[in-house]
Amino acid sequence: MILDIYKDALEYSAKDWKTLVILGVICLFSFLLLPVFLVTGYNYRVINTAVHGVINGRDPLPGFDDVIGMFVDGVKFVIVQLVYLLVPVIVFIIFAVIAGQLTGIASSALMVVGCIITFALFVVACLMQQMGICHMAHNEGAFTKAFAVGEIKEVIDEIGWFSCIATYLGLVIITVVIAIVVTAIIYGIFTVFGISGAVLGADPSGIFVLGVLVNSLITMFIVGPYLSIFNARSIGLLYTMQI
Amino acid sequence: MASITDHVVEGLKYPFNDIKKLLGCGVLFALMSAISVFISAKSLDIFRFTVHITENTNSSLSHIPFSQLPTGDIYLVAGLVIVSFIITLFIFGYQYNVVKFSIDKKSDLPGFGDILGMLVNGIKYFIVILAYSIIPLAVFAGGIALTGDASIVIAIAVISALLFLIADFLLIMALNNMVAHDSIKKAFDFSEITGNISNLGWGKYIGIIIFTIIVYMIIMVAVSFILSMITGVFIAAVSNQALAVSLFIAIIQGLFVDSYGTIFFNRVCGSIYRESIK
Repeated sequence: MILDIYKDALEYSAKDWKTLVILGVICLFSFLLLPVFLVTGYNYRVINTAVHGVINGRDPLPGFDDVIGMFVDGVKFVIVQLVYLLVPVIVFIIFAVIAGQLTGIASSALMVVGCIITFALFVVACLMQQMGICHMAHNEGAFTKAFAVGEIKEVIDEIGWFSCIATYLGLVIITVVIAIVVTAIIYGIFTVFGISGAVLGADPSGIFVLGVLVNSLITMFIVGPYLSIFNARSIGLLYTMQI
Repeated sequence: MASITDHVVEGLKYPFNDIKKLLGCGVLFALMSAISVFISAKSLDIFRFTVHITENTNSSLSHIPFSQLPTGDIYLVAGLVIVSFIITLFIFGYQYNVVKFSIDKKSDLPGFGDILGMLVNGIKYFIVILAYSIIPLAVFAGGIALTGDASIVIAIAVISALLFLIADFLLIMALNNMVAHDSIKKAFDFSEITGNISNLGWGKYIGIIIFTIIVYMIIMVAVSFILSMITGVFIAAVSNQALAVSLFIAIIQGLFVDSYGTIFFNRVCGSIYRESIK
């Protein structure tokens, strides 16, 4: 089942390279702050399509119409993420403050316990946050549903905590592997160019600069947007796995 | 409407329905910004002048005779403050009309035909805002006047800030209520105001207002970041014209950004009222 999700998401994100380039251009301007929310809003749209679709369904990629709606969705997306991540941060701060009052062994022991609890909470918060966004999308964007912890917990219970966490871990691994492999391939190609150029008597530094440039362009315009759509689609499909 | 945040989307799109009227409102804001740039420039002049006098004559500030002060500048600043207050009243009046149009579910922007009515509405709007600020202000001023202790002052400041927060949340619904019934008495009809809010749900009410403020802040921060970059470029390119450049940027900001933000916010406030009386 999990593999089906990945397969569908990998194919889905590769459907339209124009979308990837548009997303890349928006990413490029994200130092202006507003485009950041457009990117997250687009991810929200992908999730929205996924939670209303089925695995291996023929959903098209969402378009870029209604930019203002996309912006507000993006703001909602970011707020949900921040609020959920606030929980482990606050718990960690509480532990740190209490441990700061103690001395010696008690302090370190409390800190270790605190770190373990914070980490567990962090994992749960990440999961709840993703599912919260899906739950919000499923209920036509009702903001309160993103924080209906009871309902979200039921959803995760139905999918199964283990398969949720496994899917999530798999996502992280696939993302990292794709990013590393693409970079490695590009650098491999340009190393070959550089060495053969040097053997033929050319200066390889120009080729090296070109390699870095090509790598960052491809990462920004193709791989980054591809992976973000892939992640959003996978999470959205995971939500539809409930019985 | 599936989600109450759809009103925010609607509010963000609303000012684009009639760009001309948006710019008409923007002219008021641009005047305000231009005047405030002048006021700060002139006050700086006065301040500099006063410091200069005190240094030269070795006398303390309270002993300088009035005739030695730059009276012309002081009168000018006072006059400008009054003018900007009147413009503020007009802006309040326009906000009143925007809320009214929003409650009536009209999709066009209010016009500028009835200037006098706008001024009257603005005065009503201002009185209500003032009335709602009186309690927190009184607590703050009274507390500081009664106790000189530094540790209590912090507590008083926190309490009055909390009161301000509560008053501001009530104020939005109070203004809506006043506009909807077109009577200033309704702004102080607390049972109806709290009834409306609990009809919508307190959590939902506070949540949507905070959400709207967050969206507003994001837009403002982003735009002023871009504008400040432009200012930096201009000041670097045009030497010795910092006042003119900041005036230009202030006018641009007032014309497009402040007017857009204000109309957006008031539109959403009206929508909240519409949602609460359902």
